[in-house]
Amino acid sequence: MADHKNLPHHFLLSLSLLSILAVSQPDRTKDLVSLRSSSESGVIRLKNDTVSKFITSVPTPRPYSLIIFFNSIDLNSKTLQELRAEFGFASSSFLANNNNRSDVANKLFFCEIDSSDSEAFHLFAVQSLPAMCLVDPLMENPQDQEVKIDEYDFDGTAESVAEFVERRTNFTVGPINRPPLLSKPQISVIAALLVISTPFLIRKVLKGETFLHDTRVWLYGAVLVYFFSVSGIMHNIIKSVPMFFRDEEDSNKLVFFYEGPGYQLWGEGLSVGFLYNLVGLLLAYVTSALVRVRNVNEQRVVMMLAMAISLLAVKKVVYLDNWKTGYQIQTYWPSSWH
Amino acid sequence: MGGKEDPTANGSPKSESMAGKKASPPDLLSSISLKSLKLKTKQQELLLRVSILGLVYVLAFIARLFSVLRYESMIHEFDPYFNYRTTLFLTEKGFYEFWNWFDSESWYPLGRIIGGTLYPGLMVTAALIYWTLRFLRFFVHIREVCVLTAPFFASNTTLVAYFFGKEIWDTGAGLVAAALIAICPGYISRSVAGSYDNEAVAIFALLLTFYLFVKAVKTGSLSWALASAFGYFYMVSAWGGYVFIINLIPLYVLVLLITARYSLRLYVAYNCMYILGMLLAMQIRFVGFQHVQSGEHMGAMGVFLLMQVFYFLDWVKHQLNDTKLFQTFLRITVTSAILVGGIALGVGTASGYISPWTGRFYSLLDPTYAKDHIPIIASVSEHQPTAWSSFMFDYHILLFLFPAGLYFCFKRLSDATIFIVMYGLTSLYFAGVMVRLILVATPAVCLISAIAVSATVKNLTSLLRTKQKVPQTGSTKGAGSSKSSSKVTLDQSQPFQKNGAIALLVGVFYLLSRYAIHCTWVTSEAYSSPSIVLAARGAHGNRIIFDDYREAYYWLRQNTPTDAKVMSWWDYGYQITAMGNRTVIVDNNTWNNTHIATVGRAMSSYEDEAYDIMRSLDVNYVLVVFGGVTGYSSDDINKFLWMVRIGGGVYPVIKEPDYLVNGEFRVDKGASPKMLNCLMYKLCYYRFGELVTEYGKPTGYDRARGVEIGNKDIKLEHLEEAYTTSNWIVRIYRVKPPTNRL
Repeated sequence: MADHKNLPHHFLLSLSLLSILAVSQPDRTKDLVSLRSSSESGVIRLKNDTVSKFITSVPTPRPYSLIIFFNSIDLNSKTLQELRAEFGFASSSFLANNNNRSDVANKLFFCEIDSSDSEAFHLFAVQSLPAMCLVDPLMENPQDQEVKIDEYDFDGTAESVAEFVERRTNFTVGPINRPPLLSKPQISVIAALLVISTPFLIRKVLKGETFLHDTRVWLYGAVLVYFFSVSGIMHNIIKSVPMFFRDEEDSNKLVFFYEGPGYQLWGEGLSVGFLYNLVGLLLAYVTSALVRVRNVNEQRVVMMLAMAISLLAVKKVVYLDNWKTGYQIQTYWPSSWH
Repeated sequence: MGGKEDPTANGSPKSESMAGKKASPPDLLSSISLKSLKLKTKQQELLLRVSILGLVYVLAFIARLFSVLRYESMIHEFDPYFNYRTTLFLTEKGFYEFWNWFDSESWYPLGRIIGGTLYPGLMVTAALIYWTLRFLRFFVHIREVCVLTAPFFASNTTLVAYFFGKEIWDTGAGLVAAALIAICPGYISRSVAGSYDNEAVAIFALLLTFYLFVKAVKTGSLSWALASAFGYFYMVSAWGGYVFIINLIPLYVLVLLITARYSLRLYVAYNCMYILGMLLAMQIRFVGFQHVQSGEHMGAMGVFLLMQVFYFLDWVKHQLNDTKLFQTFLRITVTSAILVGGIALGVGTASGYISPWTGRFYSLLDPTYAKDHIPIIASVSEHQPTAWSSFMFDYHILLFLFPAGLYFCFKRLSDATIFIVMYGLTSLYFAGVMVRLILVATPAVCLISAIAVSATVKNLTSLLRTKQKVPQTGSTKGAGSSKSSSKVTLDQSQPFQKNGAIALLVGVFYLLSRYAIHCTWVTSEAYSSPSIVLAARGAHGNRIIFDDYREAYYWLRQNTPTDAKVMSWWDYGYQITAMGNRTVIVDNNTWNNTHIATVGRAMSSYEDEAYDIMRSLDVNYVLVVFGGVTGYSSDDINKFLWMVRIGGGVYPVIKEPDYLVNGEFRVDKGASPKMLNCLMYKLCYYRFGELVTEYGKPTGYDRARGVEIGNKDIKLEHLEEAYTTSNWIVRIYRVKPPTNRL
């Protein structure tokens, strides 16, 4: 390394003179800042052209460091997207914790490169994902192994990203702020619902007929618990499954139903659980409430509808079950019937 | 098959209506034939009911015989082999020998106190049946008794289900419930002939206890409460799942207290059941003082004390006439009772008198707990959470009927229906957390669905009948059990209703017949496999049987020294001791995690490191299960990551990432070097590289994982191949003695 030190310096002097003439360096930082402010959680998406603009064509020492996450949307990997989210948390926490210190905040930028920008992707000679690298101000060769973040340094959490940044640069990321479970619009919707329902609730309580005294509420609760159990929500929580997959071949196609027993996605469990309850409650309604309806036509229509819906729902669920478990149910007839 | 029984369940009201018309001339012929039989309406109904129950009883038994017909009369799976071995011991040596048995053949070098670490209910039951048969001069082998114990108790469960259904709804619901539970796959999965496991007896005991308790609450009689305490005792002696009872019943009592349904009947039923049940349960050595000390049982004790407070308050209220005074008194008593209870619980837990919850129980309440903290629980496939398809597979049409049943229960709330709703919902929640608990939920699902079927069919048939005899509504009103529902519909007699009702009835029977088909099919194809003998379909659709397990175990029995110690993963421990009659290091009773982790560490270390561990455990033979030749997927390579996890949980030198490549578990060329050279890999794939398993594939093609293995040139240094079964499923290696140091 020592032998090479002089050479870059000479080279650098001449280059920096040139570059001062062409584009002044603070502009690049400004560009990065504006890009960062327009991107989600402050992670700049680098493309083929921007990589050369901010990395390869900038003479060292660059006035900033970049930490790059290599992503691949087409790969549809859940773990990779989780890592990407953690990377985003590290980025947003870094910004939030150094909000009023532009000397720090504008020296380190969190970026990502997607595999669709193959030129930029190959520039760093990334062989496998997940991969990250740190472009410090003096970095010359992007293919250098020192640039890469060691696998052992990154255990998949935002904290480990922060730790790495603090070890390799002089910046501190600070505590990681993860977003709360409910976002602000969600909280406001819930609050609005609460406010609207309060007068009704108060009236009820004053009347002495709270919902706890109503068996119907308990019935709904029971049905809900039932729904919760049989649609496999516990499975979804324990195994933390996604709502759906993206098709491996076509990333625009969504897969809601997973073939094979012992695993399921959120969507399928919920829809099947809904069908169970639909048929069951229709049956209860038809046999005990509908008979009290006076209007014959109404009865007729509702009953036909209920029967048609039930038939379709049962058929659908049985079909799905056979498809999912791979079993084909057959009847055993006495052998003389064949 | 079961579905066909259902229509007859509702045959009873029909026959009543026939009898009701006796006087009219057109029915003369039938009335004559009836008269010649000399049966009154009630007798007819009874006859029908008894014959249906008898058929259901037989049906429940024979539906479970598929496994015997398909294979042979043998014990299934893993745990049943231990049960079989202990039952054999019990019948040969007698009860006291059995009770004091120290088994040195398992958990070498620790051994295991069998009498103190098992639930003896199953073995004692089987032994009693065996002795009874011997006494009656039926000389059967104990194995046949063991094989058929589960179907026998399943048949008995149908009877209990009938009485339970009768108790919570009516006789119709009882009959339907009996028919449904007789063939419900959720129950059959654990009670086919040969699955000689605790659950086989326990579900019967569970339902019986619940039934007797509900009966006790309803009648307030001491004798029913006493009976339920004995039912509970039987349950405790049979299965660890009794914890469910001792938590559900107090919860139920608590709910009754909150909903102002407290009565002296409840007081008598619960107190008697709790106190006697507790005293009896403590006689089981495995439970012992846990029943008053462990956190899982504290709820029952708390409710017991609460009952006393309620009774006391009732008494005080009776004594004091001043309501204001009573209110103050009430406030003080309730606060101080809660305070004292809380302090007692806190002190008990802090001082160690009350032990905290066990991992399995805890993982039910906080389902993500086991996944993160206890690999030995998370590794078992039956402890996995349930996907919707498993529910559908095990309950089929009942899932559609259940919400309707809930609705009917809420329409007619009583102490009994509250109980069944609570039982159904809690057990279904637990079933969602762990696949194996579907079994516990099955009786409740069958009962509630039976209520739905019975209520629906009864409503519809009464609709049909009122149509026919509008002028004689009076006689229908008197018709025994269908009183309440027919009252609702009597005033409705539009012409359309008949057709609608017929259509709906046809629909319901169609559904039930689908259920019967599903159950029969599932029983024969999915749940009757003994898993010790594997079956596969050949290229021409013919059946191929792999009997490698027994081959290997008999080899061990015949060809190894009697004091040889065999090391294998814990899954096969029970089978090796029962069939191979050799000492094992670990087995399916996973009581010592460290010992299992030691085996896991040996399996995942390099050969020379593993050799030291094996020497320290005096291991003579190592047994691995390998499915690469046959495509059998639940072999040791597929279980290997769990060995690493469990081993790594105790010995941090074992790290899971060392065996993975980019988070992926591989055995081919891209596998991690540690994986390619660990003991398990070497033992499974030794000489496999020379073998062509599939036409058109290279040598060493693993059919279970569909890859060509990465290390074909395996040399063993400290072990040598002793025996490999005909399909390579079980491979046994001999551990060489240390080389002579001279």
